[in-house]
Amino acid sequence: MRQFLPVVILAVVLVFVAVRLRRRGRTGSLLARRPASGRAGDGAPVLGVVGLVAGREIRQRVRGRIFRVATVLLVLGVAAAIIIPAATKGKSQALQVGVVGQSPPSLQPAISTAAVSVGGDVHLVSETDTTSAENALQSGHLDVVVVDGERLLVKRAPSSGDTSQTATFARALAQILGAKQAMQAAGLTPTQQAQLAGATPLLITALHPARTTTPARTTAVIGLIVLMLMLTQYLTWTLIGVMEEKSSRVVEVLLATVRPLQLLSGKVIGIGVVVFTQAAVLAAFALVLGRAVGSDLLRGSAPLVLLSTVLWLLLGYAFYSWLYAAAGSMAERQDQVQSLAIPLAAPIIAIYVLSITVLSAGGPPATYFKVLAYLPPTAPFAMTALVGLGSATWWQFTLSALITLASVAVVARLAATVYRRAILRTGRRVRLREIVSDRSPQRLR
Amino acid sequence: MPGNATTPGFPENDGPAGGGALELCGLTRRFGALTALDNLTFSVPSGQVVGFLGPNGAGKTTTMRAIFGLIDLDAGAVWWHGSPVGAAQRRRFGYMPEERGLYPGMLVGEQLEYLGRLHGMTGRAAASATQTWLEQLGIADRATSKLESLSHGNQQRVQLAAALVHEPELLVLDEPLAGLDPAGIDAIGEVLVQQARAGCCVLLSSHQLDLVEDLCDSVTIIDHGRLVVTGSVNELATGGPRSLVVRVVGDRDGAWARQLDGVKVSELDGGAVRLVLDESVDSQAVLAAAMAAGRVTEFVFARRRLSEVFRQAMA
Repeated sequence: MRQFLPVVILAVVLVFVAVRLRRRGRTGSLLARRPASGRAGDGAPVLGVVGLVAGREIRQRVRGRIFRVATVLLVLGVAAAIIIPAATKGKSQALQVGVVGQSPPSLQPAISTAAVSVGGDVHLVSETDTTSAENALQSGHLDVVVVDGERLLVKRAPSSGDTSQTATFARALAQILGAKQAMQAAGLTPTQQAQLAGATPLLITALHPARTTTPARTTAVIGLIVLMLMLTQYLTWTLIGVMEEKSSRVVEVLLATVRPLQLLSGKVIGIGVVVFTQAAVLAAFALVLGRAVGSDLLRGSAPLVLLSTVLWLLLGYAFYSWLYAAAGSMAERQDQVQSLAIPLAAPIIAIYVLSITVLSAGGPPATYFKVLAYLPPTAPFAMTALVGLGSATWWQFTLSALITLASVAVVARLAATVYRRAILRTGRRVRLREIVSDRSPQRLR
Repeated sequence: MPGNATTPGFPENDGPAGGGALELCGLTRRFGALTALDNLTFSVPSGQVVGFLGPNGAGKTTTMRAIFGLIDLDAGAVWWHGSPVGAAQRRRFGYMPEERGLYPGMLVGEQLEYLGRLHGMTGRAAASATQTWLEQLGIADRATSKLESLSHGNQQRVQLAAALVHEPELLVLDEPLAGLDPAGIDAIGEVLVQQARAGCCVLLSSHQLDLVEDLCDSVTIIDHGRLVVTGSVNELATGGPRSLVVRVVGDRDGAWARQLDGVKVSELDGGAVRLVLDESVDSQAVLAAAMAAGRVTEFVFARRRLSEVFRQAMA
């Protein structure tokens, strides 16, 4: 239950915010400092002008081909990540071992011992003669054949570095059977032979625990990849969307009746709703599919990692979308966008690579990485990685989320100022310097 | 300054003096060293189409943007029926900016409905108004087309519909007739006059002075961000120096008129000359001179063209 506490707390916060927005929408328009009047009362939807702008954004985006193709690709990617390991795990379970000719009573325990070394089950198949056994090897029905208890047949000679299940099993079995032959040749009594065969290996004491891959870590890696893909896609949408409104000049018509902050909020919220819906559908699909195919990826704390990833996708979007929207308002052509997008994308790419590295390495993360998990630009990736590693407590998680939420308010205000000053300056890319030095005798409404 | 032109004298930055539905009082806006609007003051009455004229860079677009709060002002204010213009008033305004702008990839009908709703209409009212305007502008069959697939003229019609869909009380149109064929000009002109007759306040800028003369009830001319002339088209046409059209058979260059004191040849049109007379000139003396030059087939006092008023104002 302790594990679910952060999710419950954040859900409560989100519901609270939603209810407040709804209430403000009823009395006027969202984020409006002055009460809306005029005829707006008659036709204003629940969330006012911002709701209308967001609604248009959602309709246009969901209808677009890019959205549909991206959704299908993401669903296929997640399906592949869940199904392929589950399917290959199923195949590895039973090694097919053919037995030809007379088999000594010691063969069965030898095969069992070798099977333990590869961690799989073995299924014994009696073959009438060597030819039929070879045919079965050739066709893939058998993995290994034991002839008269003293000769092993495999399809392809295992190379020295081959760590496949069949190769490992064949090597182990060959060693055990060879040792038995040597013991017989040495004239040991059956009791002595049994003692040698049952020798227990020495206990290995390690300075560091083994590097194991837990389902939560793997899920977090997949989560980080999806987080990166979706964040990049939707942030680009926001940037290009704002830029297109500027370049098509529709923004002048819109701003004649809608305040800049309303227009900007509507766009960010609209795309945000699409992000959340797509992420929620994807997560639900992953959970259902994972359960259906019995995937290891969603066992233990992995579903929590999944939920945390969805949440951080939203928080990451909420933080960066304002910055991307502000950048979009400074450009009106694709070639002007690039010099703006690169500095914005750099921290995302850097923390993404770093988080994947830290997750893959396993073990407790370094202190600097833990600090990054509290900084809003890096928290979405760093905190997801910490959750995957099991290195974040619920209060750390909640604190980081609250810091990011608070920073969103600051970033939104900054972005709205940049947007207001840049969106109607056309012709060439607006420099940040011009925006900073812009004197505003009266605020733009 | 021509005699009949009036310059309402609002004290700088003061409230409206009354008389117009829309009143611009002491608008001032500087861009660095450039003063785009220089204490500009004028008003626009309801029920009229008002032409807003001036050479390029005179400050027309800046003025229109100021009405919609799209630029910050250094001084001055815009008033609507005696109240300072704010977000609530602007919902009842319609705007067609100089640089046309709508969503290129959005369906025409949806786009107009969306804009209607942004102006506070209900979904149903916006849908019905969209239908009405598309029919009136003759593009009802393009409601489900993307805007970008329409011809230039039809896109211009959609842009006008976008300014009209919410039945605004004030229409501000920056160059609404630019780039239109005669049929398009007639269609849009008819709508604007009809709106004004229904009580709407229409302010439009244009460089096509002949069209403005036909379409507008009054004009306001600005230059360097300052008011130069404002008045009804009729007053401006009949005011100022007398203008005379004289046709003398066989005369090609109006040489006979150039010799007269206080008479200026302003235009040669086929066999006719257009003369501008000083106040001291006796028209009978002009007639006598014309008759001496040849057989006079036309001798008529003409209204001043708006282009003349404009040129004089700029001189």
